[in-house]
Amino acid sequence: MICKTTPGLRGLMAAGAMAAAAAMPMTAQAEETYNLALLSDFSGPYADIMPIWTGSREAVFDWWNETSGKDLGVTLNYKNYETRYDAAQVASLWPGIKSELDPIAVVGLGGPDVAALSERLPEDKIPMFMATAAYGYAWQPDSWIFNPRPTYSHESAAFLAWLKEQRGGDEPLKAAIMASEASPAYVDMAKGLELYAEEHPQELDLVEVIYTEVQPTDLTAQMRRVARAGAEALIIQTNTSIVVAAKRGLQANGADIPILMSSHNGLPASGGALGGLDQLEGDYEAYGMAVAADEDTPARQFYETLVAEHGLEAPWSVVTAMGISQGLYTVAVIGHAIEENGAEGLTGEMVREALFARPITAEETHGFLPTLTFTPDAPFPLEGLKVNVGTVRDGKIAIEATGVDVPDVQKW
Amino acid sequence: MVYFINDIITGALIGLLYALVAMGFVVIYRASKVFNFAQGELVIIGGFIVWFTTMQLGLSLWLSIPLSLVLAGLVGYAIERIFLTKLIGESVFSMVMVTVGLLILLRGLVLLLFGPAVRPFPIIFPLKPLFLGDMLIPMNLLAGGIITIVAAVGLSWFFNRTRSGLRMTAVAEDHVVASSMGISVKGSIAFAWVLGAILSTIGAMIFLSGKSLTFLASDIGFAALPVALFAGLESIGGLILAGVIIGIAQSLTTNYLDPLIGGSLGSVVPYIIMLAILLVRPTGLFGWRTIERV
Repeated sequence: MICKTTPGLRGLMAAGAMAAAAAMPMTAQAEETYNLALLSDFSGPYADIMPIWTGSREAVFDWWNETSGKDLGVTLNYKNYETRYDAAQVASLWPGIKSELDPIAVVGLGGPDVAALSERLPEDKIPMFMATAAYGYAWQPDSWIFNPRPTYSHESAAFLAWLKEQRGGDEPLKAAIMASEASPAYVDMAKGLELYAEEHPQELDLVEVIYTEVQPTDLTAQMRRVARAGAEALIIQTNTSIVVAAKRGLQANGADIPILMSSHNGLPASGGALGGLDQLEGDYEAYGMAVAADEDTPARQFYETLVAEHGLEAPWSVVTAMGISQGLYTVAVIGHAIEENGAEGLTGEMVREALFARPITAEETHGFLPTLTFTPDAPFPLEGLKVNVGTVRDGKIAIEATGVDVPDVQKW
Repeated sequence: MVYFINDIITGALIGLLYALVAMGFVVIYRASKVFNFAQGELVIIGGFIVWFTTMQLGLSLWLSIPLSLVLAGLVGYAIERIFLTKLIGESVFSMVMVTVGLLILLRGLVLLLFGPAVRPFPIIFPLKPLFLGDMLIPMNLLAGGIITIVAAVGLSWFFNRTRSGLRMTAVAEDHVVASSMGISVKGSIAFAWVLGAILSTIGAMIFLSGKSLTFLASDIGFAALPVALFAGLESIGGLILAGVIIGIAQSLTTNYLDPLIGGSLGSVVPYIIMLAILLVRPTGLFGWRTIERV
C-alpha cells in the first residue's frame, strides 16, 4: 500500500485520497516487506508545506526500494495518516495504525506526535523518526522518538554565536525572540534560549521575549520595543504568519534587524507569504541540515536524481530538504538493522538498537545531515552538532556558513 | 510611561477590531436569535474574496474593495438561502447546529478552492504608522477603529430607529408571530446574513492588510467571541466598550505579564473577563433582560 503524494493534490489529499489509496494492493516484489507509518498534516497549520514534505520523504523510500532495498531483498511500504497537527488526533489514530500496519517505524511530523506517542511507543517498541529540530520537553534518556537535529534552542544559539563572531567585539550580542503559547514547541524555543542567555551572559543578551498569537493582529509596537532595545537579531522559529507580521512591524518602524527563521518557516515560505524573497534580503535561516541554495552540492545532486529517476515533483527548497533528510536517515537506520539482523523478522526494537549501534554518516545522507551519533542519553545526537546558515542575497537563497559549531546548551 | 500609554491605545484599537468582527455575531443574532459559530470562517471567505479580486484579477483597490463587499454579501445571502431558510420556524438549536456544520464546511471549501498555501494579502492601509510624539499608532488599526465606531453608530440607529431594523428584532423574538404580523422572516434573516458577511470582510481587510492570508486567520472569530458575549448579544453599542476593555486588558497582559510568567496569558484574559461578567450578569453588560409573564 504505497500511497504516493504529489504537491498538486493539496487539500484534496485530506478529504479522501488516502482512504481510497488504502484499498490499493500491496506492492510486495521483494522477499520481505515492512511497513512505515507516515504522520502528516494536510489540513492544519502545516498544510501549506505538507505536500512537498511528504512527497520528498516518499521519493526517498521509493529510491531506497529500487536500490538498496532490492539488494537486501526488502521492500518498505508506507502509508500517510492525517493528524491535523493535533495530539488528540494522533492519540486516537495510533491504535488503528498499529493494528493495520504493524509498522517497524513511524515517520513523524512535529510536537503533537511527540506529545501523543512518547509514552506509547516504548510499550509498543516502535521507534519514531522526526525531521525537525528536537524539543527541550522531550529531552529524556531512553527515548523512542529521534530527531536528526538538536533542539531549536541549540540551533538559534549556534546562529547567534556565529553572528557575534561575524560582528566581532566582546560585548554580548543583543537578540529578541518571538514565541507563542499556541504550541508547547513554540514556548520551548523561548525557554531554551532564555536559559542559554542566562548561563552565557557574555555571549547573549536576550533583550525581549515576545509572546503573540499564531496569526498576530499587529506587531508594530512590539517591533519598536525590539528596535529600541538595540536588538541585533530577531529569532522567529514559530511560523510564517509571525515572520510576516514581525517583518511588517520592523518595516513600519524603519528598523533593519535580521530575522532568523527555522526550516519549517524558512526563507522560501516566509518570502512567499510576504510577496517575494527580496523582502527577506539579509535575513537568515539556520538549522542542522543542508541549506537548499542554488549551489551545486551533493545534497542538490541527490535531489536531482530523485526528480529525474524517482518522480519527485517538489521544488528544491528547505522543506524538500527536510523531507529528503528525514527519509534518508530513516532508511539508513533500517539498512543498518537489516545488515545486523538479516532481512527476515525485523522489528521496531531492532531498528532502534541499530540507531545506537553505529553512526549514520554524512555520506549515507548525501550531505543532507552531518554524521549522526545517537546514544540512549538523548533523542538527538549530543556530539558533533553543526548547523548551516542560509540567507537571501540578491533575491536568491545563498549559503552563508556551513558546519557552524553548536555551543553547549544545558537541559531545561 | 509612553510605552504603557501606547500599549493601552494599541490594545483599545485591537479591541475595536474584535468588536467589528463581533458585530457580525450580533447582527445575525439580533435578527434570528442564532449564534453563528462560523463567523470566523466568514472573515476568511471575505479575506479570500479580497485577495482574489486584488491579487488574482489585478483590480485596483478602489474597484476590488466595493466588488469584494458585494460578493461577500452574495455569499452571505447564498449561505442563508441554502442552509438556513428551510429551518425557519424550527428550533433555534437546529439553526445553531447548522452554523457549526457551516464552520467545518466553509473551512474545507477554502482548503479545496484555494489550497493551504500562505498568501500575501494586499496592503490596503498604509504600513507606515501614525507617529504622535513618541507614540505610534498602526494605520490599519486606526482606520479599523474609526470604521468600527461608525458602523456601530449606524447599525444602532438602524436597529433602534428604523422600521426595517425593528422588524428584524421582531423576527428574532418569534418567527411565527412575526410572520403572522406580515413581516418577511426570510427577508429579515437573509439581510442579517448579508450584513454579517460584509462586516466580516471589512474586518478581514483591517486584520490582514499587508500580512499573510491562510485559512487559520479564522481564529479571529474566536478572539471576537468574548467581546460579543461580554457586551451582550443584542447590544451593538455595547460592543465598543466591551471591545476596548478586552483589548486593553489583553494588550497589557501580553506586554507586561506574559514575559514575566513565560506564557500567553494574554490569549486567556478575554475569556476570564467574559466568564467573570457572565457570572454577575448572564445576559452580558448590555444584553436585554427578558421579562416573561405567565
